[in-house]
Amino acid sequence: LPSPPVRLPYVPHVPPMALLGKVTATTFALERPRCVFDGHADASDAVWLAVAFANASATFRNPRSRADVPPYKQLPTARSYMTLETAAAAYSCSAPSPPVLRVGGDTACRDQGRQDPCNGPLPFPGPYRVKFLLMGCRGPKAETRWSEPILLRRAVSPGTIDPAPTHRGSDVVVIASILASLGAVLATAVLGALGAKVWDSLCHQDLGTDAFTRRSYRTHHIPPALPQPLPPGCGCNPPGLCHSA
Amino acid sequence: MAKSDDCIHILQGLLVFGNVVIGMCGIALTAECIYFVSNPYGPYPLLKDTGNNDFYAAAWIGIFVGLALFALSILGIIGVIKASRTLLLVYIILMLITFAFEMASCITAATHRDSLTPNVFLKQMLERYQKSEPANNSDNEVTKTWDELMLQKHCCGVLGPSDWQEYTSAFRLTHNDADYPWPRKCCVLDAQGLPVNLDACKLGVPGYYNSNGCYDAISGPVNTHAWGVAWFGFAILCWTFCVLLGTMFYWSGIEY
Repeated sequence: LPSPPVRLPYVPHVPPMALLGKVTATTFALERPRCVFDGHADASDAVWLAVAFANASATFRNPRSRADVPPYKQLPTARSYMTLETAAAAYSCSAPSPPVLRVGGDTACRDQGRQDPCNGPLPFPGPYRVKFLLMGCRGPKAETRWSEPILLRRAVSPGTIDPAPTHRGSDVVVIASILASLGAVLATAVLGALGAKVWDSLCHQDLGTDAFTRRSYRTHHIPPALPQPLPPGCGCNPPGLCHSA
Repeated sequence: MAKSDDCIHILQGLLVFGNVVIGMCGIALTAECIYFVSNPYGPYPLLKDTGNNDFYAAAWIGIFVGLALFALSILGIIGVIKASRTLLLVYIILMLITFAFEMASCITAATHRDSLTPNVFLKQMLERYQKSEPANNSDNEVTKTWDELMLQKHCCGVLGPSDWQEYTSAFRLTHNDADYPWPRKCCVLDAQGLPVNLDACKLGVPGYYNSNGCYDAISGPVNTHAWGVAWFGFAILCWTFCVLLGTMFYWSGIEY
């Protein structure tokens, strides 16, 4: 009876660095475990990633051999699968490698339906839990802990976007209110001036002596001139028969 | 009487000066609006498509208002110098009509700028970009405009590449999420137009994709245009208001 696999304390997790695509709707990224399997792995061993729905991780049974590995397309029924079969040497301390693993990045194997370990896109948003499993020729040799539940993104329909502006900008309010008041003042002033003029011309009022009025010549009715009184130095009795001395 | 003559001459001088300024501003407004109308900038097809074409209505009104202001300012100068009541009355009434039109143009331009929220473009982009069966030519226009915009301005989406992740879209129907978390145009491209590092772009590694949104590139020119029409028109109207008040004061002092 093979011995139960060693439980390693490593917990798989989504990389902490700022990567916009580390969790998408069908894929997620994991930090690549380094030096985790050293001391337990032989050269011929392979490290698998077990992916299970978060509520099915407790019932996940490690496969006895490579032939028992649950394939990708059984995920909906078996609620788990294993993928990312990699040589254990790739996770050793000295291996130069990208710091991130992408789960779900291979669309070709999903479409072609191959039986090989397929790193296909995840068809449901989850949440999922993952663990790494070191498989030797005689079965699982070591396993990490299960990760925290990883929930994938869920996209909403663009119909929920409301294109209306949330609030009227202050620009419009300022312009509209000031212009409206200016226009009202002008209209009132014109109507007032016209009305005053019409009223004046109807009532023939004298305009008085305003300082700014620009008087054009106004012809008044001039009554016939009265005869001027004689200067007092001309003492003539019958008026009109005076000769100046 | 000499003092009131001086006052009259000063008032006349001020009115002539005011009308000269109005005439020049009218020419400037016409020139500016002709420039905006004849020189649509790159993202204009997006604006046209959202149905928010008010800005061009405002600019067209601005052209005619500018010419009217110029003509009326000449009429005003003649009316003030000749002290003719009829001319000045015609001037005042026509100026009021022009004032009303320019008011409409300013408010339209300012409201239009307000209505171009990011959500307007977001909704349009998600529903029309890379639509697989384009209903009409404008869908193709939208796709082409967005592609050019993202290439030239090195931007992605309206607010960022996460627009493509947060919402489903016409793009998502034809391009699966694992291979295309966002369009290829969002990746940093080399001289041949291919992504420098496709895997890094898909993961969102800084430096291999364009992380900023295109909304600033769209709204920047719109804001400039709106400022040019709305606020410049507003300034002209404030000045015109003062000149009109002065003219009415002058007109009411002229005797037959």
